[in-house]
Amino acid sequence: MSEKKIHEDQKYIDGLLKNNSFIIQAIYDEFVPKVVNYIKQNSGSRDRAQDIVQETLVTIYNQASEKNLQLTCPFDAYFFLLCKRKWLNELKKSSNKEVTINEDVLSKGEEAQELAFETSVFGEKQALFAEMFEKLGTACKDLLKATFKIKSMEEVAASLNVTYAYARKKKSLCIGKLTTLVRESPKFNQLNN
Amino acid sequence: MKEQDYIVFESYSSNELSEDEVITFEAKLKSDPEFAEAFKTYKELSSFLEHTFENEEKSNAFKKNLENISDSHFNENKDVSEFEGKTKTYTLFKYIIAASVALLFGIFTVNQFSNPTYGDFNNYDAISLTVRGANDDLLKTAENTFNTKNFASAEEAFKQLIELDKDNSELKLYRAISNIELSNFETSDNLLEDLRNGNSAYKNKAIWYLALSKLKQDDKGACVDILKTIPEDADDYKRAQKLLNKLD
Repeated sequence: MSEKKIHEDQKYIDGLLKNNSFIIQAIYDEFVPKVVNYIKQNSGSRDRAQDIVQETLVTIYNQASEKNLQLTCPFDAYFFLLCKRKWLNELKKSSNKEVTINEDVLSKGEEAQELAFETSVFGEKQALFAEMFEKLGTACKDLLKATFKIKSMEEVAASLNVTYAYARKKKSLCIGKLTTLVRESPKFNQLNN
Repeated sequence: MKEQDYIVFESYSSNELSEDEVITFEAKLKSDPEFAEAFKTYKELSSFLEHTFENEEKSNAFKKNLENISDSHFNENKDVSEFEGKTKTYTLFKYIIAASVALLFGIFTVNQFSNPTYGDFNNYDAISLTVRGANDDLLKTAENTFNTKNFASAEEAFKQLIELDKDNSELKLYRAISNIELSNFETSDNLLEDLRNGNSAYKNKAIWYLALSKLKQDDKGACVDILKTIPEDADDYKRAQKLLNKLD
């Protein structure tokens, strides 16, 4: 991961991260039409394509922001593979009917495959984490929200009207509870293998 | 895992264990895979929560902006594709126009490239710098003056911005371009050399503009040497090869 050369297309990742409208627009103009065509040719609609693209860009944004995503391949290949993967997963999920997939002719670089795989696992984990977070009790949810928003544990304790020591302990136990929920879910084990 | 384990995870993560406790903890990570797995997930979740709640506003702003751009992109193109579907003559007509434009463009470029000058290449795309946050006014000024080719004012703005944000490669690149336009080659070339030796996403762009700067200075030898160092995966590789052919 560490010493690979960063691709010039990192500018798209940085642009997303900075919420740069000019770059986002460029992504839609240059890379999105290909994705829309692919989805339309594979049992999808324009509307579904619009959602897939949007969700994919949010995942890239999150990975860039949380994990400092560094692009080591062209954005085109990476983005297309990600959208494709996401679409195929959707099809699998909802496929009572027969699904025909036109495997695309272009072979993508290994680098792009690897990076797209990493990002899509990241995205699925995020979705799982968010789902499990919702299963926590209200007290835990409130405490965790406050902890990560306010940062200072003293202030958190004061705002929730509890002692510092209690807030500290509660924080670790709530993340602990979440850890248990996540580790027990079958989906997590699939993702980790 | 027991409650106590999670309490230790938190203390270890926030560097609150004594030296001895750290040693014990790290030994357990090595010897107990179950414990290590749980700690890994605990850390992953902490990072997830931190990111989610700390950046909530920022990422909501991003999602909103994305949605707007997405909607206008998909609505706009819908009209186009519906229109195209209606008439075949229109499509044919379109090809004829495209062919004529290509032909014209061909003639035009042949003429234009016969003796390449800096002016053949200095057509930049509009830049966009504003982000929600600090220095917004200054960024807006830089962006507007650059896009309207008022390079003297752009230089002024970029200079101030770089003082506030010394490692920003994007700003350095645009400041360098402004200085090429103003023929302040010392400033432009120093900035570009700096980017060229760095490892930012703008490295290859900087090499390309350094070559153009030399072209504007009529130093064709240096221009050729620099063009040859542009790697194949660079955006400007093709343009660089064309220019090389003309110069060699």
